[in-house]
Amino acid sequence: MMSVNPDAVDAAFFDELRLHYSDDEVVELGAFIGFNLGYHTFFGTLKFYPLFSPDGRLVNQAESEKLYGAAPSSLGNAETAE
Amino acid sequence: MTHIAPLPKDAIADPELRALMAEAEALGVPDDLFARIVARAPEQAVPLMRALLISHNRGNVDHDLKEIIRILLARFANDKYFASLRSARARANGLTEQRIDDGCFAYEDDAKGFSAAEKCALRYADLMFLDANQVNKSFYDEMKLYWTEAQIMELGAFIAFHYGMQMFMRSLGARAPAEPA
Repeated sequence: MMSVNPDAVDAAFFDELRLHYSDDEVVELGAFIGFNLGYHTFFGTLKFYPLFSPDGRLVNQAESEKLYGAAPSSLGNAETAE
Repeated sequence: MTHIAPLPKDAIADPELRALMAEAEALGVPDDLFARIVARAPEQAVPLMRALLISHNRGNVDHDLKEIIRILLARFANDKYFASLRSARARANGLTEQRIDDGCFAYEDDAKGFSAAEKCALRYADLMFLDANQVNKSFYDEMKLYWTEAQIMELGAFIAFHYGMQMFMRSLGARAPAEPA
């Protein structure tokens, strides 16, 4: 929701988070999500493919592109990835 | 008041984090609210603060251009906290609010005086989270007319990291320092 519907991350949502996580853990999660939100979109523009196949093999970028598709999924192109 | 309360400043004892907070205070970005919040996750606080400062205040891309990009992104993210902060270094360099507004809203207008390189970098930031599909091979080819690959990576990482932290602070309900709760 931080990416696609940030207005929904409101006080009520934080109250729900607190049922399961401490405030310190919520900060850790929020910073982690923010970091990944930015970098996944950036890496998506670079056609930056995973170094490992789903079964854990080290693969080159050409093979990885075949495995993961011509348009890597990122928050910036989530619609095309679905 | 943010959804998660920041730690009191005097509760932060880590000398490395305090040194980064002092560096940030001198620059003006971020102010201590960001550090006092991320200090709740001590293992993350120092690297997050260091990355925020290094990506903004060092490197081989003009600091004033980065400051305009940072504010453009914060406004796009609707993050009132980071959008309200200003770099003292950029201000000392002569960066005005008018120039920032021009860079955010009218950089393609030739009358505003942005160079082709600056326009391309501002477009890079604009498109990254508006329509990342447009940041494709031909876009990077155009970027390479004006910027080295090292500078493009510096800009891309700066854009990605600052936007991510802006969305994080927005989610916490952080406001501009002078804005009433």
